[in-house]
Amino acid sequence: MIFELFLAELRRSFIQSTRYSAEIIGGIVGTTIIFYGLFLSTRYVAGGGFQFGDRFDSIIIGYVLWTLMIFIQGSISGNLQDEARTGTLEQVFLSPYGASQVFLSRAIASLLINLVINISILLIIVALTGSNISFPLILVLPLLTVLLGAYGLSFIMGSLALILKQVQQALSIFQFGLLFLFTAPIESWTGGMKILGYCMPMAPGAGLLRDVMARGEALDGGRWAIALLNGTLYFSLGMLLFRWSERETKRRGKLGGY
Amino acid sequence: MNVLEAVHLQKIYRDRQKTVAAVQEVSLTLAAKEVLAFLGPNGAGKTTTIKMIAGLILPDRGSVRIVGRDPHRDPKALRSVGAVLEGNRNVYWRLTPEENLEYFGVLRGLTRKVARQRAQTLLERFDLTDKRHSQVQKLSRGMQQKLAIAVSLIHDPQLLLLDEPTLGLDVEATASVKQLVREIAAEGRAILLTTHQLDIAEELSDRVAIISQGKIVIEEPTSELIRQFSGTAYRIELELPLDDDRTQKIGALGAVVEGDRILVEDITLLYPILDILKPLPLVRLEKDRTNLTEIFLKLVGSNALGSSTLGTNP
Repeated sequence: MIFELFLAELRRSFIQSTRYSAEIIGGIVGTTIIFYGLFLSTRYVAGGGFQFGDRFDSIIIGYVLWTLMIFIQGSISGNLQDEARTGTLEQVFLSPYGASQVFLSRAIASLLINLVINISILLIIVALTGSNISFPLILVLPLLTVLLGAYGLSFIMGSLALILKQVQQALSIFQFGLLFLFTAPIESWTGGMKILGYCMPMAPGAGLLRDVMARGEALDGGRWAIALLNGTLYFSLGMLLFRWSERETKRRGKLGGY
Repeated sequence: MNVLEAVHLQKIYRDRQKTVAAVQEVSLTLAAKEVLAFLGPNGAGKTTTIKMIAGLILPDRGSVRIVGRDPHRDPKALRSVGAVLEGNRNVYWRLTPEENLEYFGVLRGLTRKVARQRAQTLLERFDLTDKRHSQVQKLSRGMQQKLAIAVSLIHDPQLLLLDEPTLGLDVEATASVKQLVREIAAEGRAILLTTHQLDIAEELSDRVAIISQGKIVIEEPTSELIRQFSGTAYRIELELPLDDDRTQKIGALGAVVEGDRILVEDITLLYPILDILKPLPLVRLEKDRTNLTEIFLKLVGSNALGSSTLGTNP
């Protein structure tokens, strides 16, 4: 039955996206132009003789992943605020599936649609830069751990949206934090810092992605297990916090108002 | 088993130092096929009560059972309740009526196949088949409201919560919503209806509960309430204002004459007065029957007029 819900959410997101198609096409063109501009200016600064090679491939994949994570992170809170604004939020909370399952299905459905958009951007970038990107399938494993962490954070932001109603500023701060989590080289940290690194959301998975993508290393099973544990913990924390916030908002009688 | 049993509901909001008792000791029950009109001025606690019943606001005290299940603890309870909430759009404006019905059907726990079949039936029944492929934002307000009610019925719930379902609708749309409410109740559903249009409440409801400042001030079967508050007097309406001679005679008997209207408080005077009036043409002779608006004003106080749009349906 939950799969039926997921398909319904996918259909709803898809239909709504097609009715905003101008926005989506604009988004794809805009993002591609920004990225292509970045590419051109970097090449200008580095000089024509500099070859990006594999490094550039990983920059592209890293960039696409980062935009995906930003998208996921803001997706539940954004959806909550949109629904509250359009006056459909309370109907969603009347679902016997429970709000956390509905919003998770929604977040995954919109991720799939976003993924299609991102792959389009990726293909345009590849065509523009003549880069030859390969996406090793093994990347799916560390990506999964990062996705779990990202959805955990998304539920935490969703909880803030339920309780505080306004989360735009917190989201912007979070996006910088996300950049840090995604780029912190925790794989080279030592001692207490390393343990701290393992505890930060998404950081272990992002480190593994870097190893496999940029450094061409094989996937380390032990570190992947740590990354998976990290992702699962953040995901569970997000879910728990969301359920608590749902109850707290219902206690305050503030579910519909923004 | 009652479809709805809400017992001793209480909700107190605390905002800094201020404490507002939104709902106090409210108990409501509803059986199948029953329409309960839940009336009260703005801010009396109607919407808070409805949302506590729907599981959208957590009560501080008291309990809610929908077909024996608590919506605050058992999400399955929500399969038995549909709601059209006031001040909400309730449906997605970028989707078509058909898409809305199918989506909400699955969201309420149906399979897609069943949701599709129910959607077709409801589109036909609510006269929306012609508009099934138009985006909701392009429909008239009346059609949007009809769709919201259709969506609330998609999963065939036993309890329907309708918060101001005729607000902002024109005469035709109001009549059509009224007819639908009657039919939906006749099918065996229990309906909790709030409205400021008291004539609609009077027409549709089997029972009336009036809430004021968070407390229920009266709950009675509608006909019983009207009987209780109606006097024993008769009203006579004439086609033309009464001449002076007859006015004097009738006044001497003890009835009150005001132009073309006569109020007869003492029932034994009715036939003597009719003898005096003979052969003047009468427009109406009726027992003085109060209406919900008058009862509402008596119970809640005329200050409710300021915060509540009372009166007749346009």
